[in-house]
Amino acid sequence: MIALPSIAFGGFSGSAKGVTARQVGGRSILSLKCFPTGAATGAQLARRASLKKISKSWKELSSSQMTGWDRLAEHASGLSSLGQTAEISGLNLYIRLNVNRTMAGESILSDAPEQLSVLPDVVYDKIWVTPKTVVIKGITHEDGYKLVIKMSAGQSAGVSNAWSKTVILSPGMEDDWGDANMTMLYFKTIGVKPAVGEKIFIEMYWLEPASGFTGQSVYATKVCESEEDAAAEGYVKRNQITMADLKEESHVSECDVDFSTNAPVISFDAVCLGHSNVASSEAYLEDELPSDCVGTSMALARGMGTGNAGLAAQSYIIWLRNSSWDGSSITFAHRGGYYVKPTEVFGPGILY
Amino acid sequence: MFNSTGNNFGAGTIQFKDYQASNYVVLNAKFSYDPTNAAYQAADVLEIYVPDLSIDRSAVAGVILTFQDRYVYSSYTWNNDGGTAIKSWIKDKNTICLEKFTNFDDKGEITIFIQALYAQKNQPGNPIKGTRTRINMTQETRYLYWSSDTFCVIFEHWVFLHMQFSSCSYSYRNQPWEANMEDFPTDVNADVPFLGGSNQYNPSVNGYSLAHVENGVFTCPERMSGFESTGYDPFIFAFLVRDGEEGNGDTE
Repeated sequence: MIALPSIAFGGFSGSAKGVTARQVGGRSILSLKCFPTGAATGAQLARRASLKKISKSWKELSSSQMTGWDRLAEHASGLSSLGQTAEISGLNLYIRLNVNRTMAGESILSDAPEQLSVLPDVVYDKIWVTPKTVVIKGITHEDGYKLVIKMSAGQSAGVSNAWSKTVILSPGMEDDWGDANMTMLYFKTIGVKPAVGEKIFIEMYWLEPASGFTGQSVYATKVCESEEDAAAEGYVKRNQITMADLKEESHVSECDVDFSTNAPVISFDAVCLGHSNVASSEAYLEDELPSDCVGTSMALARGMGTGNAGLAAQSYIIWLRNSSWDGSSITFAHRGGYYVKPTEVFGPGILY
Repeated sequence: MFNSTGNNFGAGTIQFKDYQASNYVVLNAKFSYDPTNAAYQAADVLEIYVPDLSIDRSAVAGVILTFQDRYVYSSYTWNNDGGTAIKSWIKDKNTICLEKFTNFDDKGEITIFIQALYAQKNQPGNPIKGTRTRINMTQETRYLYWSSDTFCVIFEHWVFLHMQFSSCSYSYRNQPWEANMEDFPTDVNADVPFLGGSNQYNPSVNGYSLAHVENGVFTCPERMSGFESTGYDPFIFAFLVRDGEEGNGDTE
């Protein structure tokens, strides 16, 4: 973007051959049309579609609703509640907050929020990046807010600025008891695992889904290190099995088996799909279970189907084992209630 | 034992039995609410307000939602009582939340059984293993048969109970049931939901029957009509506070 004295281009506005001139705050600004580099990701396409839809919906607002947005925009200008200080119009505020809301899974807000929200910064202890793990630890939980995390693909360690290459990995997640385990989202969104020595650029901020306001961005970089180096530096893997820890042939579509309770239970949240006409589902693990987590558990479940007994309560016995014969696995085996698939096994499971 | 200080769904005061460790709590309560109540209808999540708990947040636990649904004919009553599991969690030191599950709001009064352990995650330590104790169900004349997954895990202040029904001698199928629970603590006294059985009029869920455990004796006065249907294995799943051992304590 090029800002020029108004003498040369005063009063001039319009576009020609990819150059646009406009008047902002008494200045003429020339800008070149930008073209995206590389193919758009699914998330980018969805965001662009959403942007178009939100822009169009502005015209459907009543004049009092538009006035409400203009008034809020006057207050928002110069404040940092949108992550940057700048003047903003009612239309732009409407678009920006609603893009944020739709990103977090909320509907479009027609009435302007009654007041501005000032969100806290993201506070965390440490970011760990290895070829197998991308996790932010020690996040201070903020009730009612969602975390937006953007990351870049691995860059050469000498690159000092690749913030423009970050893409949204989490459009609005809650921290998981102080952790944001981005491993699966990173692999899925970026497409490749980070390699040792590559630098990852990270941007994160809180989003208030109710209003669409966001906090200030917190920026960080992290060079990918080996598992061994991370361990030597103090990284302790949380004792938790997620989809990132499972082999593809597993029969669960969601998996969060959390051993980090320091209580007589394991915390389960797994969606069992069943297999081979037996009333059980196997989760095959890439790595061994810690020896003190090997055993048997029993947890409650509820069907997720729509047919007969689709919402039936059930009990599941869960075998957690390391086998020299066929590797490590977690078997969810149906016991009480009517067996239905899929079924969500959730809550505390006693361990014995 | 403590009483709730309020709720957002018009249920009145709720009494809890509790065991509260520094990093988990076991809560027991049984209460009902009217789904036509305006407060209930306005709520997105059901909240029970309580005095300070030992933990300020928990992972999701499961509690049981039940309802009555009976059809009275001239010579018999067709019992289609039903129930299922819903999610519950501790939002903060003073708020216990329940998933609002509206599928059976048209059945009238809904009864909730909280017999749950609320744990925390990302704690500095792995789970603590308990010991499985097989419950030997005995009767003077044996007519009830149970799966081998009828067991408990006993802790000093609470006990985990899982029971799974297998079969009943034909001549006792409509009688009140009673059996001794050998090796189960005698200081547990609780109504427990017995979920299972085909539910003809509410086919999306299992049937529900009410059982009771007291002084090491299991009783179940009556069962819903499809109780013994094949494949609908009735079961009990409960974390139960032991009497006289409630209150605050350390992790066992």
